[in-house]
Amino acid sequence: MSYFFQLVVSGIVVGSIYALSGLGFVLIYKSSRVLNVAHGQIIAAGCFITYALNVWAGMPIYIAFLLSMIITFFLAMSVERIFLRRLIGEPIISVIMVTIGLMEIINGLIYLTPFGSENYSFPEFFPPTPISIGDVSISWTQLVGVIITFVLITGFSWFFKKSTVGISMRAVSDDQLASMSIGISVPRVFGLAWATAGLSAAAAGVIIGNITGLNFDTLHSFGIIVFPVVIMGGLDSILGAVVAGVMMGLIQQFASGYLDGSWGLNGTGEVLPYILLLIILLFKPHGLFGIHEIERV
Amino acid sequence: MSANRWLVTGNYFTSFRKEQRIFSTHLDRTIFGVFLVCLFMWPLLIKLSNKNMFVIDGILIAIVAVLGLNLLTGFAGLISIGHAAFVGVGAYTVASIITVIGEDHLLLTHGWPLVILIAGIVGAVFGAFVGLPALRLRHLYLLMATLSFQIIFQWVISFSTFFNQGQTISVSRVFWLTGKIGRKQHYVFWYYVILVVIVLLGFGVRNLLRTRYGRSLVAVRDNDRAADAMGMHPGFTKVYAFALAGFIAGVAGALHAYLFRGVGFESFMLHDSIVYLAMAIVGGMGTLNGSFWGPVAIQFLELQVESLAEEAGHLFPSGMNLSTALRPLTFGLVIVLFLMFEPRGIANWWRIARSYVKLWPFRY
Repeated sequence: MSYFFQLVVSGIVVGSIYALSGLGFVLIYKSSRVLNVAHGQIIAAGCFITYALNVWAGMPIYIAFLLSMIITFFLAMSVERIFLRRLIGEPIISVIMVTIGLMEIINGLIYLTPFGSENYSFPEFFPPTPISIGDVSISWTQLVGVIITFVLITGFSWFFKKSTVGISMRAVSDDQLASMSIGISVPRVFGLAWATAGLSAAAAGVIIGNITGLNFDTLHSFGIIVFPVVIMGGLDSILGAVVAGVMMGLIQQFASGYLDGSWGLNGTGEVLPYILLLIILLFKPHGLFGIHEIERV
Repeated sequence: MSANRWLVTGNYFTSFRKEQRIFSTHLDRTIFGVFLVCLFMWPLLIKLSNKNMFVIDGILIAIVAVLGLNLLTGFAGLISIGHAAFVGVGAYTVASIITVIGEDHLLLTHGWPLVILIAGIVGAVFGAFVGLPALRLRHLYLLMATLSFQIIFQWVISFSTFFNQGQTISVSRVFWLTGKIGRKQHYVFWYYVILVVIVLLGFGVRNLLRTRYGRSLVAVRDNDRAADAMGMHPGFTKVYAFALAGFIAGVAGALHAYLFRGVGFESFMLHDSIVYLAMAIVGGMGTLNGSFWGPVAIQFLELQVESLAEEAGHLFPSGMNLSTALRPLTFGLVIVLFLMFEPRGIANWWRIARSYVKLWPFRY
């Protein structure tokens, strides 16, 4: 039984990170209907910037964390300004392809830095002994990571629901023409959506980097796993992204905890989300919380 | 049509059938014929080293694959980032035939055209299956379906012992009328085979686009409700586009297996799917000759990047592999720049150049 609870704990840890990465993804999709394939790369970039500021430039971690969030905020905003602004109104295929191109560009840029070829890890900020309740244990890094994640998710949800900018974002996602007519600058909202997504990606990156170490492959794979998560939650629902993120984390942990090794299976945790994705696409494509207005054939 | 069909400029079509011709003038047909003859003759005149011939063969296989992708993404408007997996299905069909009946079975050495065809059919089945969500869904969701197929494919190959866990499964040499194809003729022989396949598929696709089945693809892409109203089933048309693309990709995969004389896992990764997409975009989505320009341009670019990385490598710290950094960087830049500034790809430059030559000395 303790094995089960251990899996639940690590599932929630992984899942909350999925939720945070999915959140940034949904922010962009909801306001501008752009599927950002390069999200994982932005996550990795945020993590590496924090590491560079913290370890190489010697800043305290809080300041490095905040600064990297600010940097990715403006980075993502300029990405939108330079590449995606001129594609407003182009067919959706071009827009997706541009983000795929962006993904490759950021990959190349990161391979130019030492992070591309070598693994680093953040210095330990918390006591190394894990907290154990009975047989179940969770490390301090994981615990603090989960807490920060949920604080951030609450913050973003509040921002989206109550703040003026958030409300204008939702207005734009609902009807661009109507929101233009009441004085919302649609391009500015798109830029802001990218910027907040970049900010959340940096936060997710730092938390992942603290838990798993700074490996570029691990970090940017979070950008791909985000697809099954957001589809499961419904592409345009923040609540959906959070719930589906945690669920996906649990499913992955259970799969690799119970299925791997038996019947000659291996690495099921990596593939199960995508099998689920295919099944969801076939039977319930709007996900758990998505709006039922779906692009039907 | 004017009296002299060798010297016409402009369009003089008097019937729909005439407009649908593959070659509108005698001159076009002659030029194309000469071009084809040149393609078939040059290996007899110029002897290239095996290495260079191998590069050319690689480009030709990419052309076959991109033909399928362009049919799917360009003509039917369905974005796929799992095309390398479809190519992989073809290659691994050959591999599984090898594992079942042994490397030196008559079917594999003498009946290889049949094997290539089987690989295509298996590819088509997989394509249709992955395209099934297309019965209900559009763009983004299809992208997800192809992505998940790519990842499931990678997982199945890398973990099942039947496929040697992604390690290379070797393919034996084949026989032709003249006997066994040895090491020296291997690349030239496959050059001819792939060239024949490309010509067949090229004409096949060109002809398909003249029939109602091909035009229905374009109709569904442009406006699926209008297509529905005109009696086409948009969903089935899309599934059928996926099956066609899967067929062509499967053929490409089988050719890949025979050319490389082995089936390995690393040629069919997500990154390769992105490379195929880049080729289709750079060549020109929704144009037939774009499928030929794109692979040539991208492979050429890649060779240039490799040599540049080799030359400039000593300027950088030794721990860094410059080519791993430069390759995605140039790819990404090429995709983004083409989409931003020339969304119609190299095929558009070709069109402009052609009309310039045709109308010379007049501007228009």
